[in-house]
Amino acid sequence: MAFILATLPPQGDFIGTMIYLVENYYQIILYGLGVTILLSVVGTLGGFLLAMGVTQARLVEIDQKRDGPWQKIYKATFKRMAVTYVTVFRGTPMIVQAMIIYYGVASLGIFPWWSPLPAGLLIVTINTTAYISEVLRGGVSSVDPGQMEAARTLGLNRRQAMRHIVWPQAVKNALPGIGNEFVVNLKDTAVLSVISVVDLFYSVRQSASTNYRYIEAFMIAAILYLILTFVSSKVVDYLTKKLDTTSEVSQS
Amino acid sequence: MNGLIDVVNLTKKFGDRVILNKINLTVHNKEVITLVGSSGSGKTTLLRCLNLLNEPNDGHIYFEEKDLMDPHTDIDKLREHMGMVFQQFNLFNNKNVMENCILSPMLRLGLSKEVAVERATKYLTKVGLQDFLYQDVRRLSGGQKQRVAIARALCMEPKVMLFDEPTSALDPEMVGEVLQVIKTLRDEGMTMVIVTHEMGFAKEVSDRILFMDQGIVLEENNPIDFFNHPKEERTKQFLNRVLH
Repeated sequence: MAFILATLPPQGDFIGTMIYLVENYYQIILYGLGVTILLSVVGTLGGFLLAMGVTQARLVEIDQKRDGPWQKIYKATFKRMAVTYVTVFRGTPMIVQAMIIYYGVASLGIFPWWSPLPAGLLIVTINTTAYISEVLRGGVSSVDPGQMEAARTLGLNRRQAMRHIVWPQAVKNALPGIGNEFVVNLKDTAVLSVISVVDLFYSVRQSASTNYRYIEAFMIAAILYLILTFVSSKVVDYLTKKLDTTSEVSQS
Repeated sequence: MNGLIDVVNLTKKFGDRVILNKINLTVHNKEVITLVGSSGSGKTTLLRCLNLLNEPNDGHIYFEEKDLMDPHTDIDKLREHMGMVFQQFNLFNNKNVMENCILSPMLRLGLSKEVAVERATKYLTKVGLQDFLYQDVRRLSGGQKQRVAIARALCMEPKVMLFDEPTSALDPEMVGEVLQVIKTLRDEGMTMVIVTHEMGFAKEVSDRILFMDQGIVLEENNPIDFFNHPKEERTKQFLNRVLH
């Protein structure tokens, strides 16, 4: 390796150092970039699916008159659990959640596959679930309650009305918010380097600390993060608009 | 207790406010009843209690002799036979005209798509919307939306139709087309309970008019006597206000 490292530019040659770092560390930086994207995609998609269930549980309505005693108890329990889940995961920093979950599960010693990357994927997913649940709840409440009433007068039970009328509109209303969560995840997954997930932040820090060139290395990270968030914001905007117009055209 | 709907001592409160005070009412088969009265008199709440959109505090509602207030009654099943039309239409915005009409017949009555579409086409044609079968509901006029709402309810082939101020949210020029549809239903023998502010329409379409005031049915009569010889002072005042 000596023949490669020989040409580290002098202190103060900012651009030269950045080029040097990219040339020598592009493999690990690209790997980190890929992990960051993977964390965000899995976290947002997984979070969305789980958030549907959590939101459903939060919106459960207890019918004091018609529900049996056990039905009341399990409905109330589910609701309470879902509300607590969202409160806890929105109310604590992801970096703290990462420490507790990663080291907590590791100390159990029952999952031989438990390592930083699967832990990171799990943590970002359950964290995002809490946030997307808030977005979905907003999406549900933006559907005019009159439509639920109309569905009920046609004989649909609450579950059928939610499934066929409320949820499709709620998800559509929530899409910009969900896209936003994806963009937030691209940046916020950087904290997972605390449990040694080799994401963009972690891989850049490695290249920085080997050479003691922190400013230049993290400038590379900043540029890459900015490209990621800028591009994905544009993609989210485009998809949201496209979905809006296609749904209008296909229904006419 | 031999009507299609029998309401016995129905009481509804919102907090401490008594909205309906021991209402008794029988709706006979093929009868058209209109509920009139000033706003806040309880007429819309009474209508919404008939299918338990509002849960009464006390009393009984019998639909075909089944007590809706009994916790063991399958309300969803009974609602399949009670159509309702709202002031604000409440169409499903994620579905087109046809999908609005076939959803519940397929889900609740188990009709195949072909049969449901055939039925929906029949009722949409009845309300004059044969050219809008697959239209996006958000692009319809108010009058068209309300006619879709009526057709959607009819697709369940209900035994009674409940109308909650069906023309109050419409531009004046669209009121007629909706009232015309309701008159057609009357002529075909549909049982209906209608809350309305359209006095001319009430006079023309009703078998019986109920004047509600402060949570009770203050006066009821056939339309001719109701308008020509109101008995109660409050009724006279009300009619003076709305007719002049």
